[in-house]
Parts: sequence; structure tokens; C-alpha cells
Amino acid sequence: MLLAFALVAAACGDGDAVDTTAAGDTATTAAETDTTAAEPMACEATVGFMGPITGPVAFIGEVQLNWFNYALDTWNEEMGYDFQMVEGDNQFDTAQSATLAQQFLDNSAMVAAVGPAGSDQVEAAGAVYESGDPNFTFISPSSTRVGITALFTGMFRTVPTDDDQGPTTADFLVAQGAQSVFMVDDQSSYSVGLADTTQGSLEAADVTVNRESVSNDVTDFSALVGTIPGDTDFVYLPWQVAANGQIFANQMAEQGKEAVIFGSDGMDSADFTEAGSYIAAFAPDIAALEGSQSLLEGYLEQYDDTNTFGPPTYAAARVIFEAIDRVCQAGEVPDRANVQAEVRNTDQADSILGSPISFTEDGDLAEGQFFIFQIEEDGTKTLVP
Amino acid sequence: MEFFLQQTVNGLTLGSVYALLALGYSMVYGVLKFLNFAHGEVYMFGAFAGYGVLTVLGGPSALLVPVWLAITLMFIASMTVASGIGVALERFAYRPLRKASRLAPLISAIGASFFLQAAALLLFSANSRSYDAPTLIPIASGISIGPINVWAVRILVIVTAVVLMILLTWWVQRSRVGKAVRAVSFDTEAAAMMGVDVDRVIVVTFLIGSALAGVGGVMVGLVFGRIFHLMGFIAGLKAFTAAVVGGIGSIPGAMLGGLLIGFAESYTTAYISSTFQNLIVFGLLILFLLIRPSGFLGRPELVKV
Repeated sequence: MLLAFALVAAACGDGDAVDTTAAGDTATTAAETDTTAAEPMACEATVGFMGPITGPVAFIGEVQLNWFNYALDTWNEEMGYDFQMVEGDNQFDTAQSATLAQQFLDNSAMVAAVGPAGSDQVEAAGAVYESGDPNFTFISPSSTRVGITALFTGMFRTVPTDDDQGPTTADFLVAQGAQSVFMVDDQSSYSVGLADTTQGSLEAADVTVNRESVSNDVTDFSALVGTIPGDTDFVYLPWQVAANGQIFANQMAEQGKEAVIFGSDGMDSADFTEAGSYIAAFAPDIAALEGSQSLLEGYLEQYDDTNTFGPPTYAAARVIFEAIDRVCQAGEVPDRANVQAEVRNTDQADSILGSPISFTEDGDLAEGQFFIFQIEEDGTKTLVP
Repeated sequence: MEFFLQQTVNGLTLGSVYALLALGYSMVYGVLKFLNFAHGEVYMFGAFAGYGVLTVLGGPSALLVPVWLAITLMFIASMTVASGIGVALERFAYRPLRKASRLAPLISAIGASFFLQAAALLLFSANSRSYDAPTLIPIASGISIGPINVWAVRILVIVTAVVLMILLTWWVQRSRVGKAVRAVSFDTEAAAMMGVDVDRVIVVTFLIGSALAGVGGVMVGLVFGRIFHLMGFIAGLKAFTAAVVGGIGSIPGAMLGGLLIGFAESYTTAYISSTFQNLIVFGLLILFLLIRPSGFLGRPELVKV
């Protein structure tokens, strides 16, 4: 048993630890590049990825990691470069995020990173980056908390904020004729913040909101479902565990509750397939975007699963790669300061998300937009105009 | 009335699961006087064993065998896997520490709990799985009690729990091994001197307690749907609370405590707020530890004066 424990512990350690081999190789190469300035300079860099590869929302981290790797592989192949990556699994934990951020900072070859996913983890990692080296750039592909980019010099994101999602959701519900909405947050800061924003917008439109709260560890919502008033038009679930949303839907059906579920972006997953329900998403269904279809097909040749969290990760990685490339094209050696300056200059006319990517002064997406989908009987999603 | 009835059924379902889990805590405490904090993870492995059988049989939407047979096989697999893990825990994590201080096996139990969580993460990944019970047994199926319809899966869960509790009570009261368990629980040394094989009794206690946890795991998968590698932690804590409230070491107490905690959760959500659910449950734990540590049906410890 002890041997087994040691093996399992070792395996966990490998999964969680930062792979320094690639970084070390790159650092050596960069040093060699400096001493051979007369020769054509190779464009080389190491980029980090931090996400919840294991833990309670591993479905987010796994897909984000896959899309990051896909972006890296296609970029290297397309450009003939040899960019390296270092991955860190923060397990959706703030302490782990801070530890990984310090490891990333200590890796002198790393010029920027994609991640973390959640706003709490962004805050933990961002504080380390800000105090250690404000020139270190990190782009979150899924943090939506309002105002968080203003806290950190090097933070950017490729998704819109809750200031977009809350009112978008509220406007949609009002347009659907909602008079009474039952809202349940999952007690995480993401969920509470989003619920607050949406509740404010709904109440401003004279919609009655009944607010409840339940931990995302819970899997029995029967008692809570029983409290949904009979005149409720919509149940709003700003949750991060989509499987819980499906349980909630099943238990509503069990108790004959007929309100329609509206899930936030966290519910945009294959685990939630309740027909007739709506979900908000910070990215369009890229399968329906002409310019992104080939990318999706290429991705699906290598990886089994995708969800809404993937394409913004690809977009974030591309922003960094292109910034590094511009630094190299200018004849400079990529470092944290010049890469950050180029990330700030990002001006993509189009992206995998089907929209332009450029950033505000704080690092927010300049033209953020939320999308609303309805789930069909066969589990597919239809974009609601 | 409809609302109250619905919440009572909800509480009864949840309480049945807690009761089965609490039995494992109570049985082990009764015999060894220590808390097996890895019990929640045994329940989690039971849930995954049931899911494994369901998958092998074609999954909920394409079952190769009748539903009743699939569910029976799921229960058998979960009991087998869970009891195997329980016995292995006893043999390798607890038995070597039986003569150590009371703290040592407790720490070992916590370590075993984390070990099993990590093992599940490696084996099953962090993604949650769904039994998709509504596909197996349609939600519309079941019986009507007054104005409410009770889903057949809930009835299955409640009936199975009651039957298992009756069987366990009969086994402990009437069977030879059950009597030996009671003897060891009452006085280990005296039981050993009377020829009771204490080691065997302890193994049997772990085997039975873990098998019940395995059944609880499948029940949760069926009625609530989602299973994941961390599911044992909170469920284990609540079952421990149930065991304390009912009277730790007492088998009827564990059943009563489980049901009480289930009702407490359900009625708190219904009549106060879901936000206070855990506050009330763990508040009960603290209250009982302070005011009545022996719980409702526990035996107060006798102190020689």
C-alpha cells in the first residue's frame, strides 16, 4: 500500500509540477542567441499555461489545456518556430495559483502565460505577478469578474465581463416576458457576483427575483426545487458545475416545476442538456463560424472534447504568440516588457471567436459580447438572435 | 400540505443515504472506538463501481439487460468493491496501529481518505459522471401520495435502505457473528477471553459497514445523478454528524440520526433558506457534542469512581 501510495503521490506530483525541462532548454538557447548576435536571430520563447487541469472544474482546465496545446502546435508548424510551453495545474485553488505564479516568475525564459481560468485564481496569481514583475503578461481565457484587470498591470482577457453578461441575461429574460425569476448562486465569488449583477438589472426592470444560495458540493437540490414559487417564469443558475444544473433540471421535472432554466456561461457544457433551457456563453458556437470551422475540425482530429472555454484559450495563446512574433520581427529578443507592450498593441481584425480582438487600457476585451443559446431536444445548441 | 409532503419525501431520501453511511461510522466506532474518516471515500468508490457496471452493460440509454438486473448488478459490484476497500483499509492502515495511541489510527484514517481521493482522481479523472437515472427509470414513474408523485427511484432508495437496516438489525441481534460483534463492542478483552476471534469480528465489521456505504454510493448516483472523486468528503462529514446525533456506536441511533439529518437539511431549505443548510446540520453536531455527546440512543460512557 505504501508503495502504491508513493507511486500515486509521484504521479500526482508530476501532473501538478511545473515542467522546467522545456524552460531550461529555452533559457540556454536564448543565452546562446545573445552571444551569436551576428547570425540571424531565432524567435524563441516559453509561454506558460495555468488552469484547473484537475480538481472540481477539471472539465474547464482539460479543454483549455488542449486548446492551448493545439494553438502552440499549429503556430509552431505554421511559422516554423519552436515556442515552448510550461503547464501548471492550479486545481482551481487560489493558494496553488499563487505558488504556480511564483514558479512562472522564477522561470526567466517565460515571457507570458495564459490563465488562470477563474477570477479568484486570477486575483491570487495576479498579486504575485504584480509584486514580482509587473511586466509579466497573463491573459485569462475565462475570468469575467468586473474590474479585475484594473488591479494588475499585466492582465488581459479574451472574454467579456459580468458587466456584459448580467445585463445581457436580464435584457433577454425581460424580453421573454419574465415577471418572476428564481435565482440560485453556488456560493462561489463568480456566481455570487454574477447573480448580484443580474439581480440588480432584473429588479431595475421590475422583475420579481427570489434569491437562494447553495454550495456547489451539493448534489441534492430536491428541497430547494420544492421552494420554487408556482408563478416563476425562469430559474437562473449562474453556476460553474454544469452537471449540477442537469440534476436541478431533473429534480424540477420530478416535482412538476415548469419554469425554464437559464444557465450562465459556466453551465455551457455537454453535462447540461435540458431541452428548452437557455445558456449564456462568452463565445459563439465556433462550429457555426465559417472562418473557424477548419480550426475546430483540426482540433477535433487530435482531441475528443471541447466546450466554450476552449476557443478563448486559443485566442489568448494566439495573442501572445503574435506579440512575440512582432517583437522578433522588430529585431528584438522577446522579453517580458516588450512582449507586454506588443500584447497591448494587439489589433486582430478577426479571431477564432468571430470577432476582433483588441484591449482597453485596463486589458479588457474592447468589443466584448455575450451570446445566448437555446438547447434543443437532441442536446445541440441554437444561437438565439 | 403538498409542500410539506414533498419536503418530507426529499428528507427521507437523503436521510436514507446518510443512515446507511452513518451505520459504517457507528459500527466501526462501536468495535474499535475510533472514527474511520476514510468511510466517505469508500462510499465514493462504491458509486464509481456501480457506474462502471452501468457502463459495461451499455449505459443507461442502451442497456443490454433489464433495468432491474442492471441495478441489482450495480449494487452487488458496489458492495463488493466497497467492502474490499474497507477490509484493505482495516488490514493495512488501521490494524498495525491498533495498539498505538488513539490519535494514530485517526491520523491514518485521514491519510487514507486523501489517498483514496487521489487514487480516484487518477483512476477516474476529475470529471463528474452521471448515472442518468431518468433514462433508466422515467421520472413520471412512481406512485402518487396525495397530491405529489414520488419517483420510483426514490422509492427504491428508501425501501432498499429500510430493508438493509432491518437485515442488519436482525443480523446483529440474532446471528452468531452479529452477537460476536456486540460482544467485542461491549468489551473487547472479555470477548477475546471467551473465545471470540476479535480480528475476524473487526474485519467483518469493516466488510459490512463498507458494503452499506457502497450501496449508499449507488443510491446517490441513482437518485441525484452526479458522482465525482470528492463526493465522499461532505457526505462523510454529514454521516458522521448523523452518527453523533443518533448516538455513535448505536446501530438504531445511526439510522435515526441519518433520517434526522436528512429531514433537517430538507426542512431548513424549505422553511428557512438553503444558505443555512450546512449551518444547521453542523450546528447540530456542535450542539450534541456539547450537550449530549452520547446522542439520542448512544450509551453514556461509564466511569469507575
